[in-house]
Amino acid sequence: MNQVLNLPLIRLLVIKDWQLFQKQLAAYVLAGIVALALLGLARPWAFYLGSLLLIIVLVAGSCFSISNSLLVERKEQTLAFVMSLPLSPLDFTLAKLAGNLLTFGVPFGLLLLGTLVVVLTTPLPDGLVVYSLLIYGHILLAYSVSLMVAMQVESEGWNTFAMIASNLLVNPLIMLLGQIDAISIPARADAIVWSLPAVLILSAQVLLSLAALGFTAWWHGRKPAFY
Amino acid sequence: MTAAFAVSGLCKRYPHFALQDVSLTLAEGEVMGLVGVNGAGKTTLLRLLTGLAAPDAGSIDVLGHRLPQAQVAAKRGIGFASEDMRLYRSQSLDWHIALVRQIYPEWDDNYAASLMRRFDLRAQQPIGGYSHGQRVKALLLLCLARRPRLLLLDEPTTGLDPVARAEVLEALADVLRDERRSVLFSSHNTHDVEQLADHIAFLHGGRLLAHRDKESFLDDWRRVLCLGSLPPTLANWPEVAQVRSAGSQIEVKLRAWRDDLPERLAAQGLTVQRVDPMALEDIFVTAVRAGGAA
Amino acid sequence: MNPSLTDASADEPNGTRVHALDHLRALAMLAGVLFHAALAYSPLLHPWWPAADRQHAPLIDALVWLPHLVRMPLFFLVAGYFSASLLQRRGMSGLARQRVRRILLPFLVAWPLVHLSVAMATGWAAEATLYPSPLLQMVREWMAMPDAQAPPPGTGHLWFLHYLLLFGVLHWVGRVLELGGLLQRWLALGMPWVALSLPLLLWPGFALTSAPHPAPEGLLPQFWAIGVYGPFYALGVALFGRLESLDSLRRWLLPATFACLLAYALFLRALGVVLVPGNASWDVAALQALIAGWATLACLVFGLRALAQPRAWLRYLAASAYWTYLMHLPLLFAIQYLLMDLNWPWPAKFAFAVSATLVLCVVSYEILVRRTPLRRWVG
Repeated sequence: MNQVLNLPLIRLLVIKDWQLFQKQLAAYVLAGIVALALLGLARPWAFYLGSLLLIIVLVAGSCFSISNSLLVERKEQTLAFVMSLPLSPLDFTLAKLAGNLLTFGVPFGLLLLGTLVVVLTTPLPDGLVVYSLLIYGHILLAYSVSLMVAMQVESEGWNTFAMIASNLLVNPLIMLLGQIDAISIPARADAIVWSLPAVLILSAQVLLSLAALGFTAWWHGRKPAFY
Repeated sequence: MTAAFAVSGLCKRYPHFALQDVSLTLAEGEVMGLVGVNGAGKTTLLRLLTGLAAPDAGSIDVLGHRLPQAQVAAKRGIGFASEDMRLYRSQSLDWHIALVRQIYPEWDDNYAASLMRRFDLRAQQPIGGYSHGQRVKALLLLCLARRPRLLLLDEPTTGLDPVARAEVLEALADVLRDERRSVLFSSHNTHDVEQLADHIAFLHGGRLLAHRDKESFLDDWRRVLCLGSLPPTLANWPEVAQVRSAGSQIEVKLRAWRDDLPERLAAQGLTVQRVDPMALEDIFVTAVRAGGAA
Repeated sequence: MNPSLTDASADEPNGTRVHALDHLRALAMLAGVLFHAALAYSPLLHPWWPAADRQHAPLIDALVWLPHLVRMPLFFLVAGYFSASLLQRRGMSGLARQRVRRILLPFLVAWPLVHLSVAMATGWAAEATLYPSPLLQMVREWMAMPDAQAPPPGTGHLWFLHYLLLFGVLHWVGRVLELGGLLQRWLALGMPWVALSLPLLLWPGFALTSAPHPAPEGLLPQFWAIGVYGPFYALGVALFGRLESLDSLRRWLLPATFACLLAYALFLRALGVVLVPGNASWDVAALQALIAGWATLACLVFGLRALAQPRAWLRYLAASAYWTYLMHLPLLFAIQYLLMDLNWPWPAKFAFAVSATLVLCVVSYEILVRRTPLRRWVG
């Protein structure tokens, strides 16, 4: 098959997805700014409200990003229009991956940065950095798995299940982190301690995310045609 | 001269349907109407011709490119619109034009503007507010204004009101004046095919029943009205697609008309009252009911 | 065209240049230099300002808090106007690129440099001065502690860049969510009604912070700062292409000035002599909202007429204002630390500190920016 990537078209499709997602994204960005400003009030109630809002924004943003660019496109039959453009299945997959990583990655990166700033510059114990990174790691993993499922499986039911289940698993993760002394005890101290379990969990999250995205790209890239 | 497309020995199997051994060529500048009932395999054939699906067997060359390997190059010269293709509801036609014109260097702004006027489309309005007919016309505008060398249209007139249908057919007729552009369009509206196509391909049950130029195709078919008693072997003649009798009135539909046929019918004791050419619609229904080769 | 003016040009939709806005913004930035220099001699800020001098004068407090309530609102109003102008000419992506080049990159480069130089100068002053300010005294004690914890990093006087970026993002949000109609409806009420309602919009913001309001130096966005400066930015955006609507405010200029002066007198009385941390009371916040809203509009209306003609010195000021404002605080602090032990009268110290800072800024602008590639970013 023609392996020369149609980069200008991939770029156009990424911009297209960005434009289609803009309205929701703007709402999430607004909610994200409110969440950060709540954290900036430096009061306990505002801190809890702000961090809750941050997680809601992240999870909702990731689900909507996937839903908008893949599920809605399929359901509303705009996919046929995209596939009729001069692009190969690999171009299409890369455009979708890049578009999603942009619409998810930009807010994710900004909010991650915001969280680190909050932890490091407020009286909160700096040990929370590791803890927060593990939570963010899980959201990244849940997103990558949901994205992989959305690109592999057409069924809306399975996709909804994948999104809800993978994101809800953050609860057992929080419980698990609480059980692991090497992670839960340093989280209350004012120093960043990278214990072996923390490193293992974070590496697993990152590697599995990359594997999910890589598998998706490989799987679709090797297909000669869309159907 | 390069063929607009040439497929040979094409097979594509799905769990409940198979396209079998289709060989078909469309020369540059020709218009082919693809006729068949729902489920005949028209959409599958068009998907194969756009490189969206890969064949299980056989070869596909479109505008000189082998598919699906060179689908990107082929799709640069193809304008494809299908009935199940939708535009983005939240965005305007202008937005779609801005997207598409960046992809196709041959995009013709003046032509797009003239089509916009002819189709009476509002460029700023979100597509979600368009009627079905307006959506079809918008999609067609996006296909036509890129000046494709090969236009592949899957059921372009389905569901259109008579006015919209006339507008779409006129626009297509304009395209056909350019001899370098080729069109394949599928339809179960045989009037459209009859009006526009100069070649006809007949798909049924995943097989290509006929592939001929329109004139000779229509010329092969006749409806003959006779008087007399129905000869028992008449239905078995290879030329006969259908025989119906009501009392002494016998209607014979012939799929391979020859000038000696009235004589042969007379030899069977029948009095031939009249011989009429058949409309494509009639041929289509007769052929499908007969189930055999058209 | 003067290359330093190419980016932030204040073009009306019809293509004519509004020089007055360039000049107003430059004067607002210059006011910032004077304001920061004067704070060293403010009795109110004596316990809190690093460069606070032994000599201070109540006159300073009587004077500085009025421009303090006007200069940044005016700056953000003009910034909103410029953004709308740029948006019209270059679209959202053009505006975003310009924001990255002219604000984000200078911010990222200048922030550590300013932070480091202020910290070094302050550290030196804490150790070396004979008559340190109360804050320097605290720094001295803090430096003596073996396991002293560093204070949280802030944006310092570069907070305005941080908020320009934030408002840039909110501008995009507002556009995508099609909130422009709200702004247009607000303006459609007529400028006198806009002027009357502006203080009401500002009121909650002022009530959420102390009085006089501090600089929002934290890295996280502050509700009060968004509430105080956001409406000005939005008003600037809405005024793009409708500057002439401000004409209807001209006859209110004198009454508004009197009202502001009266409110300012009340504000000063309420302020007393000690700055109390914690939120301002609602009545003090209302006074600040009134002054900030009306005095800023008055400056705008007045400036649009008085500063309309291009003048060489104003033009130079406008061109060098960005660089000057970025650079002034470390220089000013260093100079005022050096002056701290001298027995000069405060007006002499103030005049010297301001002149020396401005001269150094202008000289460095001439050498480093004006004819170099740097002008693309900070010219």
